[in-house]
Amino acid sequence: MRVFQVQCKMEIIRVLRNRYFVFWSLMMPILFYYIFTNVVNTHPQDEGAWQAHYLMSMTVFSVMGSSIMTLGIRMVQERAQGWSTFMRITPLSDSVYFAAQMAGQSVIHILSITVIFIAGALINNISLSAVEWVMSGLWILLGSLPFLAIGTLIGLMRKVETAAGVSNVLYMVLAVSGGLWMPIEVMPKVMQTIAQWLPSYHFGSGAWEIASGHAPEWKNILLLVAYLVLFMLLSKYIRRKQEAV
Amino acid sequence: MTEVLTLKNVTKSFRQKTAVNNISFSISKGEVVAILGPNGAGKTTTISMILGLLRPTEGEVKLFNRQPQEKQVREKIGTMLQEVSVMPGLKVREILELIRSYYPHPLPVKDLVNLTGLTEEDLKTRAEKLSGGQKRRLSFALALAGNPELIIFDEPTVGMDITSRKRFWQTVRTFAAQGKTIIFSTHYLQEADDAADRILLFKDGAIAADGAPAQIKARIAKPSVSFTAAPDISLEPLYHHSEIDDIYRKNNRVYVQSSNTDRVLELLFQEKLGARDIQIERGKLEEAFEELTSTTKEAI
Ligand SMILES: Nc1ncnc2c1ncn2[C@@H]1O[C@H](COP(=O)(O)OP(=O)(O)O)[C@@H](O)[C@H]1O
Ligand SMILES: [Mg+2]
Repeated sequence: MRVFQVQCKMEIIRVLRNRYFVFWSLMMPILFYYIFTNVVNTHPQDEGAWQAHYLMSMTVFSVMGSSIMTLGIRMVQERAQGWSTFMRITPLSDSVYFAAQMAGQSVIHILSITVIFIAGALINNISLSAVEWVMSGLWILLGSLPFLAIGTLIGLMRKVETAAGVSNVLYMVLAVSGGLWMPIEVMPKVMQTIAQWLPSYHFGSGAWEIASGHAPEWKNILLLVAYLVLFMLLSKYIRRKQEAV
Repeated sequence: MTEVLTLKNVTKSFRQKTAVNNISFSISKGEVVAILGPNGAGKTTTISMILGLLRPTEGEVKLFNRQPQEKQVREKIGTMLQEVSVMPGLKVREILELIRSYYPHPLPVKDLVNLTGLTEEDLKTRAEKLSGGQKRRLSFALALAGNPELIIFDEPTVGMDITSRKRFWQTVRTFAAQGKTIIFSTHYLQEADDAADRILLFKDGAIAADGAPAQIKARIAKPSVSFTAAPDISLEPLYHHSEIDDIYRKNNRVYVQSSNTDRVLELLFQEKLGARDIQIERGKLEEAFEELTSTTKEAI
């Protein structure tokens, strides 16, 4: 148990010291949030609803980013630099290592969610009920699982540069086409149809539902679970193929 | 004596290449063993199999009578790999604390610092900012962190300056005196000779010799008798004597290699070869070793 705690603590320290994380997962979402709710006037019908909606978008954007990027790139880095080889010689078991990484990521996500929620609430004086705050936070925490699975897929790549490039593009494409930057209602019809099949849209959609006083739809949950299973199987398959060589 | 490590008929083949070919040996508690051989001899491949990083194609590797991958084994070994690597994002002290937490009876950080020559300043430095030499020291400290019974180093002194090298061997001797088992690989004969009490000489993936440094040296560096002789003199008669290991011409001189030089002199006169300007040469170790090395290169 002590091993797990120390491992978790170190994972968290490493993420917090990563400047990319602080910039992309904390500063950027808050900055965007400020710009699109205060500077640029989007003429929403219901100002309060739009502010809550966009706060959810940005929090989802942040957590999705650190799920895909932080974990994946670090896995590639550790492998490329031989650290994972060294870890295999230590008595630390693979499962504890993996569990600690996941737990560490979750703590980081809770931190991101809390920071962005507080920033949003302060900037625009958003009034959600306590239950809505907690439920939307939980949704974002759990909804990140398929994206963590994407992170482990990215983590199977051999070169840090490729991993960074691919994950960056994937992250942006998923964010924009999933309606996290602007609602899909203002996008062309084709984009709206595509969004219906993207995990990022359903990740956001659940949070938007909660913020507007509803429960997430079954479809949101179903699609995220389906993607989680798909990515996990894919990652397992690729790992087995890599080991065979 | 208790056996710490046993390899039985171990072979490792990569797609086209057999890197290690049917080797067997065992190492007892308290031995300091050098795996000596030129580049490409199969040292790293052998060490990787001992550490359970590679699976042998054939044969069996046992540490403390268990499989290399078992946790009980991992708790008793410490290692420094050929490619030094550190965990980015953490300070040296944090990495030491982290790795120490994996082992049941780790060495205190203070001891690790003293043993490896890390400084207080180093402890506060982030791993990615360390110089090559500092990384080596950290990697050395990580190998010792769990207070291991068996320590394995793959080419540990490559990239170390003289001071670090000295300190490294000093620490190794301290550990050896405590009854720990130490295995290290090197391609320097001198290093193996100085530090080990047993040498496994690797050549082309096989063990060419296994013994105390003095034995190995006697084997690879044979004394010879050299002389000048008229070019038309046939050296044929000498070939019939089994005491003679090798005969070759170099710089207009004939060299006759044998561990028994007295007998060679006797033969020279007996066979009436008209040898002049006779000299007896002690075997040059480094030269002999290099010769061994060069044949390996040709084989690749
Ligand atoms: N993963 C690998 N795939 C193919 N060949 C390899 C691999 N690893 C090592 N070899 C080959 O096996 C031989 C032994 O390599 P190695 O054990 O690294 O030697 P050493 O450590 O003694 O220099 C070399 O010829 C090397 O090219
Ligand atoms: Mg090597």
